[in-house]
Amino acid sequence: HASQQRPTLQCGQQHPLAARRLNSTAAREEPALLPAEERVNLSLSCVKRMKEIMEEGQYLRIHVEGGGCSGFQYKFSVDSNRDEDDRVFEQDGVRVIVDQESLEFVKGSTLDYTHELIRAAFQMQKNPQADHGCSCGSSFSVKL
Amino acid sequence: VSKRKILPTRAALTLTPAALNKIRMLLYDKPEYIGLKVGVRTRGCNGLTYTLDYTKEKHPADEEVLQDGVRVFIEKKAQLTLLGTEMDFVDSKLSSEFVFNNPNIKGTCGCGESFSI
Repeated sequence: HASQQRPTLQCGQQHPLAARRLNSTAAREEPALLPAEERVNLSLSCVKRMKEIMEEGQYLRIHVEGGGCSGFQYKFSVDSNRDEDDRVFEQDGVRVIVDQESLEFVKGSTLDYTHELIRAAFQMQKNPQADHGCSCGSSFSVKL
Repeated sequence: VSKRKILPTRAALTLTPAALNKIRMLLYDKPEYIGLKVGVRTRGCNGLTYTLDYTKEKHPADEEVLQDGVRVFIEKKAQLTLLGTEMDFVDSKLSSEFVFNNPNIKGTCGCGESFSI
Protein backbone atom coordinates (compact mmCIF):
# COMPACT_ATOMS: atom_id res chain seq x y z
CA HIS A 1 0.00 0.00 0.00
CA ALA A 2 1.26 3.43 -0.93
CA SER A 3 0.39 5.29 2.24
CA GLN A 4 3.93 5.37 3.52
CA GLN A 5 5.67 8.70 3.65
CA ARG A 6 7.47 9.50 0.43
CA PRO A 7 10.75 11.37 0.65
CA THR A 8 10.16 14.99 -0.21
CA LEU A 9 12.53 16.92 -2.38
CA GLN A 10 14.62 19.53 -0.69
CA CYS A 11 15.45 22.88 -2.18
CA GLY A 12 18.13 22.54 -4.83
CA GLN A 13 17.58 18.83 -5.11
CA GLN A 14 15.64 17.63 -8.10
CA HIS A 15 13.99 14.47 -9.13
CA PRO A 16 15.83 13.01 -12.16
CA LEU A 17 12.65 13.21 -14.24
CA ALA A 18 12.10 16.84 -13.36
CA ALA A 19 15.75 17.74 -13.79
CA ARG A 20 15.69 16.95 -17.47
CA ARG A 21 13.14 19.67 -18.02
CA LEU A 22 14.28 22.12 -15.49
CA ASN A 23 18.01 22.36 -15.88
CA SER A 24 17.67 25.41 -18.13
CA THR A 25 14.88 27.12 -16.25
CA ALA A 26 14.91 28.61 -12.82
CA ALA A 27 12.98 26.20 -10.65
CA ARG A 28 10.40 27.98 -8.61
CA GLU A 29 9.61 26.01 -5.52
CA GLU A 30 6.99 27.92 -3.60
CA PRO A 31 7.94 29.11 -0.14
CA ALA A 32 6.04 27.02 2.38
CA LEU A 33 4.45 29.96 4.08
CA LEU A 34 2.79 31.69 1.18
CA PRO A 35 -0.49 33.20 2.44
CA ALA A 36 -3.48 30.90 2.04
CA GLU A 37 -5.18 33.29 -0.39
CA GLU A 38 -2.22 33.16 -2.79
CA ARG A 39 -1.86 29.42 -3.00
CA VAL A 40 -3.89 26.29 -3.58
CA ASN A 41 -4.71 24.61 -0.30
CA LEU A 42 -5.13 20.88 0.06
CA SER A 43 -7.58 19.23 2.38
CA LEU A 44 -6.63 16.22 4.50
CA SER A 45 -8.61 13.82 2.34
CA CYS A 46 -6.96 15.28 -0.75
CA VAL A 47 -3.46 14.74 0.66
CA LYS A 48 -4.37 11.20 1.67
CA ARG A 49 -5.71 10.33 -1.79
CA MET A 50 -2.74 11.90 -3.54
CA LYS A 51 -0.35 9.81 -1.45
CA GLU A 52 -2.21 6.74 -2.66
CA ILE A 53 -2.15 7.52 -6.36
CA MET A 54 0.99 9.52 -7.01
CA GLU A 55 4.35 8.09 -7.77
CA GLU A 56 7.66 9.75 -7.10
CA GLY A 57 8.11 12.83 -9.28
CA GLN A 58 4.45 13.13 -10.18
CA TYR A 59 2.28 16.15 -9.66
CA LEU A 60 -1.44 16.65 -9.65
CA ARG A 61 -2.00 19.29 -12.28
CA ILE A 62 -4.88 21.72 -11.95
CA HIS A 63 -5.85 23.38 -15.16
CA VAL A 64 -8.65 25.85 -15.78
CA GLU A 65 -10.19 26.05 -19.20
CA GLY A 66 -13.23 27.58 -20.81
CA GLY A 67 -16.17 25.24 -20.93
CA GLY A 68 -18.85 23.66 -18.79
CA CYS A 69 -22.22 25.20 -18.12
CA SER A 70 -20.90 28.11 -16.09
CA GLY A 71 -18.10 29.32 -18.35
CA PHE A 72 -14.97 27.83 -16.82
CA GLN A 73 -14.14 24.38 -15.67
CA TYR A 74 -11.45 22.64 -13.66
CA LYS A 75 -9.41 19.86 -15.18
CA PHE A 76 -7.26 17.52 -13.13
CA SER A 77 -4.52 15.26 -14.38
CA VAL A 78 -1.47 13.44 -13.15
CA ASP A 79 1.61 14.98 -14.68
CA SER A 80 5.33 14.49 -14.31
CA ASN A 81 6.35 17.42 -16.49
CA ARG A 82 6.84 20.89 -15.22
CA ASP A 83 6.95 23.93 -17.46
CA GLU A 84 8.50 27.30 -16.91
CA ASP A 85 5.32 29.11 -15.92
CA ASP A 86 4.16 26.40 -13.56
CA ARG A 87 3.85 26.97 -9.85
CA VAL A 88 4.23 24.08 -7.44
CA PHE A 89 2.49 23.89 -4.09
CA GLU A 90 3.70 21.25 -1.70
CA GLN A 91 1.86 20.16 1.39
CA ASP A 92 2.65 17.14 3.55
CA GLY A 93 4.85 15.66 0.83
CA VAL A 94 2.39 15.81 -2.06
CA ARG A 95 2.64 18.35 -4.82
CA VAL A 96 0.07 20.18 -6.86
CA ILE A 97 1.09 22.03 -9.98
CA VAL A 98 -0.78 24.96 -11.50
CA ASP A 99 0.17 27.06 -14.49
CA GLN A 100 0.31 30.79 -13.85
CA GLU A 101 -2.76 31.55 -15.94
CA SER A 102 -4.92 28.97 -14.18
CA LEU A 103 -3.62 30.06 -10.79
CA GLU A 104 -5.29 33.45 -11.22
CA PHE A 105 -8.61 31.59 -11.24
CA VAL A 106 -7.98 29.18 -8.39
CA LYS A 107 -5.74 30.92 -5.85
CA GLY A 108 -7.13 30.75 -2.35
CA SER A 109 -9.24 27.68 -3.12
CA THR A 110 -9.07 24.35 -1.38
CA LEU A 111 -8.68 21.13 -3.29
CA ASP A 112 -10.64 18.32 -1.69
CA TYR A 113 -11.17 14.66 -2.44
CA THR A 114 -14.85 14.07 -1.77
CA HIS A 115 -16.24 10.69 -0.90
CA GLU A 116 -19.85 10.01 -1.64
CA LEU A 117 -21.59 6.77 -2.38
CA ILE A 118 -22.24 7.72 -5.98
CA ARG A 119 -18.81 9.22 -6.62
CA ALA A 120 -15.44 9.97 -5.17
CA ALA A 121 -13.45 12.64 -6.95
CA PHE A 122 -11.16 15.64 -6.64
CA GLN A 123 -13.12 18.84 -6.27
CA MET A 124 -12.19 22.50 -5.96
CA GLN A 125 -13.89 24.13 -3.04
CA LYS A 126 -14.19 27.58 -1.54
CA ASN A 127 -12.81 29.33 -4.60
CA PRO A 128 -12.80 33.05 -3.77
CA GLN A 129 -12.78 33.91 -7.49
CA ALA A 130 -15.83 31.80 -8.34
CA ASP A 131 -19.23 33.40 -8.32
CA HIS A 132 -21.48 30.40 -8.56
CA GLY A 133 -20.78 26.96 -9.79
CA CYS A 134 -22.39 24.01 -11.35
CA SER A 135 -23.87 21.56 -8.88
CA CYS A 136 -21.07 19.12 -9.52
CA GLY A 137 -18.43 21.75 -8.81
CA SER A 138 -16.49 21.10 -11.99
CA SER A 139 -17.66 24.29 -13.67
CA PHE A 140 -17.83 27.84 -12.35
CA SER A 141 -18.24 31.45 -13.37
CA VAL A 142 -15.98 34.27 -12.27
CA LYS A 143 -16.82 37.20 -10.02
CA LEU A 144 -16.55 40.42 -11.96
CA VAL B 1 -50.01 5.73 -13.37
CA SER B 2 -51.19 2.13 -13.17
CA LYS B 3 -52.12 2.22 -16.86
CA ARG B 4 -48.50 2.96 -17.67
CA LYS B 5 -47.19 0.01 -15.76
CA ILE B 6 -43.91 -1.10 -17.21
CA LEU B 7 -44.01 -4.61 -18.56
CA PRO B 8 -41.16 -6.70 -17.25
CA THR B 9 -39.86 -7.58 -20.69
CA ARG B 10 -36.45 -6.28 -19.73
CA ALA B 11 -34.88 -5.00 -16.58
CA ALA B 12 -35.42 -1.32 -15.94
CA LEU B 13 -31.78 -1.02 -15.07
CA THR B 14 -28.87 -3.21 -16.02
CA LEU B 15 -25.65 -3.40 -14.07
CA THR B 16 -22.25 -3.85 -15.62
CA PRO B 17 -19.84 -6.33 -13.99
CA ALA B 18 -17.85 -3.41 -12.60
CA ALA B 19 -20.96 -1.96 -10.97
CA LEU B 20 -21.97 -5.36 -9.60
CA ASN B 21 -18.55 -5.85 -8.01
CA LYS B 22 -18.50 -2.41 -6.48
CA ILE B 23 -22.00 -2.76 -5.02
CA ARG B 24 -21.09 -6.17 -3.60
CA MET B 25 -18.04 -4.65 -1.98
CA LEU B 26 -20.04 -1.74 -0.61
CA LEU B 27 -22.66 -4.01 0.92
CA TYR B 28 -20.31 -6.75 2.10
CA ASP B 29 -19.71 -5.36 5.58
CA LYS B 30 -23.10 -3.69 5.90
CA PRO B 31 -25.61 -6.50 6.46
CA GLU B 32 -28.22 -4.05 7.73
CA TYR B 33 -28.74 -2.77 4.19
CA ILE B 34 -30.50 -4.86 1.57
CA GLY B 35 -29.31 -2.92 -1.44
CA LEU B 36 -28.84 0.45 -3.05
CA LYS B 37 -31.53 2.85 -4.10
CA VAL B 38 -31.26 4.94 -7.24
CA GLY B 39 -33.26 8.12 -7.56
CA VAL B 40 -33.33 11.38 -9.44
CA ARG B 41 -33.46 14.82 -7.98
CA THR B 42 -34.06 18.23 -9.49
CA ARG B 43 -30.65 19.78 -9.29
CA GLY B 44 -27.85 20.95 -11.50
CA CYS B 45 -27.70 23.04 -14.63
CA ASN B 46 -29.47 20.55 -16.85
CA GLY B 47 -32.45 19.78 -14.66
CA LEU B 48 -31.92 16.42 -13.05
CA THR B 49 -29.24 14.53 -11.26
CA TYR B 50 -28.94 10.95 -10.02
CA THR B 51 -28.88 10.07 -6.37
CA LEU B 52 -27.62 6.88 -4.78
CA ASP B 53 -28.25 5.72 -1.22
CA TYR B 54 -28.12 2.62 0.89
CA THR B 55 -31.55 1.22 1.63
CA LYS B 56 -32.80 -0.92 4.50
CA GLU B 57 -36.19 -1.80 3.11
CA LYS B 58 -38.11 -1.96 -0.14
CA HIS B 59 -40.68 0.75 -0.46
CA PRO B 60 -43.91 -0.56 -2.09
CA ALA B 61 -43.53 1.86 -5.00
CA ASP B 62 -39.91 0.97 -5.68
CA GLU B 63 -38.95 -1.09 -8.68
CA GLU B 64 -36.61 -3.88 -7.69
CA VAL B 65 -33.80 -4.94 -9.97
CA LEU B 66 -32.14 -8.18 -9.02
CA GLN B 67 -29.04 -9.10 -10.96
CA ASP B 68 -26.57 -11.80 -9.89
CA GLY B 69 -27.70 -11.51 -6.30
CA VAL B 70 -27.29 -7.74 -6.15
CA ARG B 71 -30.41 -5.75 -5.44
CA VAL B 72 -30.91 -2.21 -6.64
CA PHE B 73 -34.15 -0.32 -6.07
CA ILE B 74 -35.43 2.44 -8.28
CA GLU B 75 -37.49 5.19 -6.73
CA LYS B 76 -40.93 5.65 -8.18
CA LYS B 77 -40.07 9.10 -9.47
CA ALA B 78 -37.03 7.78 -11.31
CA GLN B 79 -38.53 4.72 -12.94
CA LEU B 80 -39.52 6.27 -16.26
CA THR B 81 -36.41 8.39 -16.37
CA LEU B 82 -34.10 5.45 -15.89
CA LEU B 83 -35.82 2.86 -18.07
CA GLY B 84 -33.24 0.98 -20.09
CA THR B 85 -30.30 2.60 -18.36
CA GLU B 86 -27.01 0.83 -17.81
CA MET B 87 -25.34 1.46 -14.49
CA ASP B 88 -21.57 1.26 -14.64
CA PHE B 89 -18.75 1.91 -12.22
CA VAL B 90 -15.73 3.77 -13.52
CA ASP B 91 -12.61 3.81 -11.42
CA SER B 92 -9.59 5.95 -12.20
CA LYS B 93 -6.84 7.61 -10.22
CA LEU B 94 -8.63 10.93 -10.16
CA SER B 95 -12.17 9.79 -9.58
CA SER B 96 -14.27 6.73 -9.03
CA GLU B 97 -17.94 6.97 -9.72
CA PHE B 98 -21.11 5.26 -10.74
CA VAL B 99 -22.04 6.28 -14.26
CA PHE B 100 -25.49 5.96 -15.76
CA ASN B 101 -25.68 5.36 -19.49
CA ASN B 102 -29.21 6.50 -20.07
CA PRO B 103 -30.74 6.17 -23.55
CA ASN B 104 -33.57 8.57 -22.68
CA ILE B 105 -31.61 11.73 -22.09
CA LYS B 106 -31.49 14.69 -24.44
CA GLY B 107 -28.71 16.69 -22.92
CA THR B 108 -26.06 16.51 -20.28
CA CYS B 109 -23.92 18.90 -18.36
CA GLY B 110 -20.18 19.07 -19.00
CA CYS B 111 -19.41 17.02 -15.93
CA GLY B 112 -22.03 14.40 -16.75
CA GLU B 113 -23.75 14.75 -13.41
CA SER B 114 -26.75 16.73 -14.54
CA PHE B 115 -29.05 15.83 -17.44
CA SER B 116 -32.38 16.56 -19.11
CA ILE B 117 -34.98 14.21 -20.58
